[in-house]
Amino acid sequence: MSEKFKPRLVGFLCNWCSYAAADLAGSSKLEIKPYLSVVRVMCSSRVNSNLALTAFLWGADGVLIAGCHPGDCHYETGNYYARRRFALLKKIMETLDLEPERLQLSWISASEGKRYAEVVNKFAENISEMGPNPFHNNPNI
Amino acid sequence: MSKKIGVYICECGPNIRDRINIDEILENLSSIEDIKVVKKYPLLCSNEGKKFLADEIKNEELTHLVIAACSPKEHEITFMNVCEKAGLNPYLFQLVNIREQCAWIISNKEEATRMATKYIRAGINRVLLHKPLQKKELECNPNVLIIGGGIAGIEASLSLASPERKVYLVEKTSVLGGKVRKLSGLLPHQGMDLTFLQKKIKEVENNENIVVLTSSEVENVRGFFGNFEIVIKSNRNDLEQKEIKVGAIIVATGFSLFDPKETPQYGYGTIENVVNALEFEEMIASDKILLKNGKPPKTVALIHCVGRKEKGYCSKVCCLYSLKFAQFLKDKLSDVNVFEFYSDLCLPHKSDQDYFEEVKKKGVNFIKANEIQIKKSNSNINIEYKTITEKKGSLSVDMVVLSPAIIPAENTEKLAKILNIPLDETGFFKEIHEKLDPVSTPIEGIYIAGCASGPKNILESVIQSQAACGKILSCLIPGKKLEPEVRVSEIVEEFCTGCQTCLSVCFYSAISFDEFKGVSVVNEAICRGCGNCVGSCPSGAIRLKHFTYPQLYREVLEALR
Amino acid sequence: MKNPNVLIIGAGIAGMEASLLLAEAGRKVYLVEKESLIGGQVIKYEEVFPNMECSTCMVAPKQQEVLQNENIELFLLSEVEKIAGSAGQFSVRIRKRARYVSLTNCIGCGACYDPCPVSLYNEFEQCLSKKKAISIPCPGALPNVPAIDPENCLYLSGKQECQACKEACMFDAIDFSDKDEILELEVGAIIVATGFDLLDVKILPQYGYGDSSNIYTAMEFERLNAANGPTEGKIILREGSIPKSIAIIHCVGRAEKGYCSGVCCMYSAKFSHYLRHKLPDAKICEFYSDLCIPGKSYQKFYKEIQNKGVELIYSDDIRVEKKDGKIQVVYKNGDGERSVFNADMVILSPAMIAKNGTKELAKILGISVDEKGFFSTQNQSLSPITTSVQGIFVIGCAEGPKDISESIAQAEAAVGKVLSLLS
Repeated sequence: MSEKFKPRLVGFLCNWCSYAAADLAGSSKLEIKPYLSVVRVMCSSRVNSNLALTAFLWGADGVLIAGCHPGDCHYETGNYYARRRFALLKKIMETLDLEPERLQLSWISASEGKRYAEVVNKFAENISEMGPNPFHNNPNI
Repeated sequence: MSKKIGVYICECGPNIRDRINIDEILENLSSIEDIKVVKKYPLLCSNEGKKFLADEIKNEELTHLVIAACSPKEHEITFMNVCEKAGLNPYLFQLVNIREQCAWIISNKEEATRMATKYIRAGINRVLLHKPLQKKELECNPNVLIIGGGIAGIEASLSLASPERKVYLVEKTSVLGGKVRKLSGLLPHQGMDLTFLQKKIKEVENNENIVVLTSSEVENVRGFFGNFEIVIKSNRNDLEQKEIKVGAIIVATGFSLFDPKETPQYGYGTIENVVNALEFEEMIASDKILLKNGKPPKTVALIHCVGRKEKGYCSKVCCLYSLKFAQFLKDKLSDVNVFEFYSDLCLPHKSDQDYFEEVKKKGVNFIKANEIQIKKSNSNINIEYKTITEKKGSLSVDMVVLSPAIIPAENTEKLAKILNIPLDETGFFKEIHEKLDPVSTPIEGIYIAGCASGPKNILESVIQSQAACGKILSCLIPGKKLEPEVRVSEIVEEFCTGCQTCLSVCFYSAISFDEFKGVSVVNEAICRGCGNCVGSCPSGAIRLKHFTYPQLYREVLEALR
Repeated sequence: MKNPNVLIIGAGIAGMEASLLLAEAGRKVYLVEKESLIGGQVIKYEEVFPNMECSTCMVAPKQQEVLQNENIELFLLSEVEKIAGSAGQFSVRIRKRARYVSLTNCIGCGACYDPCPVSLYNEFEQCLSKKKAISIPCPGALPNVPAIDPENCLYLSGKQECQACKEACMFDAIDFSDKDEILELEVGAIIVATGFDLLDVKILPQYGYGDSSNIYTAMEFERLNAANGPTEGKIILREGSIPKSIAIIHCVGRAEKGYCSGVCCMYSAKFSHYLRHKLPDAKICEFYSDLCIPGKSYQKFYKEIQNKGVELIYSDDIRVEKKDGKIQVVYKNGDGERSVFNADMVILSPAMIAKNGTKELAKILGISVDEKGFFSTQNQSLSPITTSVQGIFVIGCAEGPKDISESIAQAEAAVGKVLSLLS
């Protein structure tokens, strides 16, 4: 499948589950498309609209937030808040003429290395098909 | 002060060396401002590698350190220790993951090199914004408050009290002993008769390091782990109050029994000679197993699971104490007939089933039944029931003993509010993690033990109280200082609008509101550093140390270059 | 003079909890583990009841901490051979078996697995898959360093001059000259946390287990369901097809062993959860005799699976038979009436028994074993973790079947006792 362009993706991964899954994908030598840059946070609840929207404004074609499965959050309830903030952010994106599909929230546990690779590759593929972010090549960078 | 960043790329054998063009990166980075030195090294986590880093930090007088190697989950602590020993603040360091999340997932060497360069530049830009965070030390008060003078509370006070650690044992009623005091005896395979309880109570009363406050209740709690301030009120005299300072609290308030009047099908309170378990214990203890007419019963029915459906859980201990009742009846009263009506036999411990077989051998009848209706019939009691195979049955008895569900003790809700600890949907105190941390609450320093957190037997209650002691003995050591988490949240007063959103999202209740200033304040001693408050703050007034917006933005910026 | 150090035998969930709490108190802990990895049985499960929480995520932070904590010295592939002395002053002799791979040099790249010519049944995976003579038991095992099985390695057993793994290693981590080591340690107290095994269901012919049919033990099913297991979590039969009807049989071995294992009803319901989630249209039946679901949150869990269409069938007389290549669960209800359930797959929930080696270890420690085979402790003085020897404690399933929550509470209680004893 020929990709229209190479998307620039940012992923916020929580330290305890999804970052560990990304590491496991690495030790399992799974091939992951080199479009996603990982930013480690302690909990997915650290991520809010500021971080995600700024990433989009600076030209990110897609933003992935990954945390622990509901009920498994290292800080007990953090990921529930992440889920709510994410839902709200999707709504805001609609008003900005930014496709809400560019923002994705995934629950990935520490043992799901393979799934992490699948999620990231699929995400990259989806964004690729969607095309560049309207704020791409922002002269402010 | 001029910045001198040292950047070191670990080859990790062929793992990074063969998959990333390290030399190209070294060249690209050398032109960046503030970078004093950029080098590669075969294996930085080896002893030689660590020594090399320490020497480099000292010789090059580095102010910041960036290492590009494996995952921080592998070696962040290793390298932070190296920094500390070499005299560099360990938080002025960033470990960039170019192995698991770069070299190992990208087979194209060019792409991998590009990705690694991105990550390393992000790490360099980020580390420039790191602050030299300092470890904190807090004085702590080693004393302990135990709420509840039942068996769990008694055991905990005896385990904890010492000349360096005072224990305050607060009991609502006028005597110690809790529910165990009301029992006729323990289970045979638990051995002892109840004189052990009196011995323990005497021990507690004679222990000069335990202050026993009966007819008292906790009125108010302020502070945090290591530094709680408690107000205790006397029940006898409202004006009598005592203020104490402790470092930890154990909640061991026990349980109540479900009131069978709520399930009228059992006839409790309406039919004579229908009693509940505690009433029957009293009969056994006083050696007066008699009907209302003064005669001993000829046929007794023991009904398990009273209130089980209504409460939605199994109370764990009733099957076993019902066996105890059956045994007593058979031993004390000649030719009494005993019938046990149960829905499931809950015999989870290794000796329980043996006990069941023993009791069965005495001629006790076991009927697996549900839908039980108890009605009065002449001078007798008639029990109608359905078996597991839906067959109807009926039995005439003179006495019925009900085993009601174990429910939360009175005042549990009130106490939960005072302590600011949560209750779960069954009304019992909620442990922070049912499996991994059954005696802790979200408030650090407040522990729960025994039936206060849910139905359990005496041995388990004692183990839980010992577990709480284990945690206290391990972290609240007289003379030792507490070292809380360093990467915590802090609120910039000028930007805080006082909306208190952060307060409502903090699971650990680490944020409080300063009424006078109208701003929220983070208690750094209990903050766990998740950043949920930061994510919730509408005015950007909260910063999470070491994961601030500027620091994270530097990483995002580099990702999008 | 009391030695403040502590020996903990077994690095499962209870042993790790006790180590971490003692390490936090500043004590030096010697953690001795028989296998090549830490985590015990808990790491074999995908999820745990009643919250269906990811088991590895739950345990991974603890495992990492154990590996990195400076106060904990971990001995893998090790067993206790001899103990002398008394509380406050025990002398312990440990045999540390050769791993043949250096824990310091190996970085866990896995380059040595492929070249190895020897293929063996993987015990961790309950023999549902194979591994090489040099391997880690499962993906994500900690520490992430393989061990060589000396009996099956061609070089070490003298069968052939094969050095394929050594040649593939870029870190000089493989050392065929590695030898078993004997270590002498001095400690003040000992905590036994050796865990449990499951009853070998082959001794119960009425369940028809054996000859690789679609009758699985609980542990085999856990691995089948695990994302890092032999089928990557796909529930499939031996022949590769997807089961349409599954029977889960409780109390396997209860009558023979004479006790209820306390956790099987709950994990059987957990299996129903797994199955209903992955096979939404399958017929799932739980065959039970008493539902042992004590405590405030367990009954709710059962209501949930019933709401998901799982049938609970009471029976006190069950046989599993094979007829024309198909499996039949033949059962009698409370009135002796016979029925048959056709199952594509049967999962047996066996009794929890004392870990293999309990008798021998008890002898070394000078403590006794009860009639059920578990270590004897002093329930009679309200202390189910103290043994007849002062300074030696038993926690977790080594003392008797129990769930994780009770094992952790016992671990923390033992720490309390040790800290009081060795203050």
